[in-house]
Amino acid sequence: MSWAIEVQNLNVWYGDKHIIKNVSFRVPKNVIFAIMGPSGCGKSTLLRAMNRLLDLNPHARVEGQVKINGINIYGDNVDVTWVRRQFGMVFQIPNPFPHLSIYENVALGPKLNGLVKDKSQLDELVKQALQKAYLWDEVKNDLRKPASMLSGGQQQRLCIARALALKPRIILMDEPTANLDPVASSKIEELLLELKEDYTIIIVTHNPQQAARVSDYVAFLYMGELIEIGETSTVFTRPSNILTEKYVLGRMG
Amino acid sequence: MRLNKRKIIDRLMLGIISALAIASAIPIFAIAVNVYSEGARYISLNFLIDLPPPPVGGGGGGIGPALVGTLVLVALALAIGGSIGFFTGLYLSEFSHTRLAQYTQMFLQVMVEFPTIIVGLFAYMILVAPLKRFNALAGAIALSIVIIPYIALNVREAYKSIPYTLKEAAFSLGVSAPIAYLRILLSAARRGVLTALLIGLAKAAGETAPLLLTILGTTFTYFGGLDQPINAIPLLIYNFALSPYEKWHQVAWGAAAVLLTIILAIFIVSRLIVKEVKV
Repeated sequence: MSWAIEVQNLNVWYGDKHIIKNVSFRVPKNVIFAIMGPSGCGKSTLLRAMNRLLDLNPHARVEGQVKINGINIYGDNVDVTWVRRQFGMVFQIPNPFPHLSIYENVALGPKLNGLVKDKSQLDELVKQALQKAYLWDEVKNDLRKPASMLSGGQQQRLCIARALALKPRIILMDEPTANLDPVASSKIEELLLELKEDYTIIIVTHNPQQAARVSDYVAFLYMGELIEIGETSTVFTRPSNILTEKYVLGRMG
Repeated sequence: MRLNKRKIIDRLMLGIISALAIASAIPIFAIAVNVYSEGARYISLNFLIDLPPPPVGGGGGGIGPALVGTLVLVALALAIGGSIGFFTGLYLSEFSHTRLAQYTQMFLQVMVEFPTIIVGLFAYMILVAPLKRFNALAGAIALSIVIIPYIALNVREAYKSIPYTLKEAAFSLGVSAPIAYLRILLSAARRGVLTALLIGLAKAAGETAPLLLTILGTTFTYFGGLDQPINAIPLLIYNFALSPYEKWHQVAWGAAAVLLTIILAIFIVSRLIVKEVKV
């Protein structure tokens, strides 16, 4: 079996603080893989270690390996911008570039990375990305308007379109619905199920119900340690660890 | 009874403090009224273009060479000091954890308070003395040194004010750091950066002390090259105001009105930019 991503003996420190403790797991292609756990367990850090966005934090130190297509992204001679282009990332707070238009938000990545030859190709790519993010019909007449005029849920779908426009293999999502209302959240969850046809999705959530609803595989992270990992149906019905059981039953975090 | 006394004291103190606040703003109005009432009547298109008048006889004359000089010096200072200041500020913001950035920032904060005449003296030592001639480049370098800390510290603030999540969004697009900072995040910080440059612009246009020992101030020639002496409006005001000729005093007043107008215009533009910031 070929894996979308393999994490081996990953450790992360912030200064002296050991945040991620010897975590290993593998994610198959075209699945939704959820990382769940209580607040502060290191989920977001783990996600940022996978596309080396953690490099932005000068106090973070990483040991171990993360492999995509067999290439260790922490190896020597690996270009960090190449690593990040393999991933699309969606964040907890919808964060479109507020000073750019809806169109420019999606077009920026492909343009700066030279993914398109000309304007018509770019237009097409932007349209496709917005369609895939279920946003096209709502914004097709307002492409030149600032992204800040969109609602929170629309902004988050715009961020998904921005990520898709990079043509990534894997989409990383850091609690993408944490700041949205229930209607906007369920729209995003529907979208995820659609997207896994073409992408591998790794989603971080502090909400076990969300993990149960959308994911195929789930990992339970607790205080930086990987407590349990498996098919979602198994982990939720027959958890092998008492901590996992407490968590999925809502008795913790 | 006691309550009443407290109320009276409260009113009294408030009155005193308000009066002091108003008093602190009086000089700016007094200066503006003074400068414009003495100088505004001399300002005309010819005044901005013409050579200064001869001390006695002749027409009204103008401040052409000094205005050209100020434009040349300010443009050079912004090009040199602006770019050094910008990249220094960016470094201070994004590498604030490094010791180099911490020391640099400390030095820049000292430089803000530095007597600018000493900057002029330094430029004299390295650029005027070896060339054995006062020259425009020395003045531009001195002005650059003066404005670098202002620009760097304000650019730092501008980049610091970008939300971290936008920084993550920019880098998640898989672009290199220069592209992230200059093509994506610069426009998110553009108002702060523009304000920083305008502060530098106003400073460069208004400074006199760094020019005293560097450009000399030609009176009757416009621009003869960067290695030649040049004039500037503040220096013209200084030289003409000290002269014994009534006509030159008038030119100095007119020049003061022009300079004040330039500074106020920069101030108003930078205020408008700040106001435009949306939450």
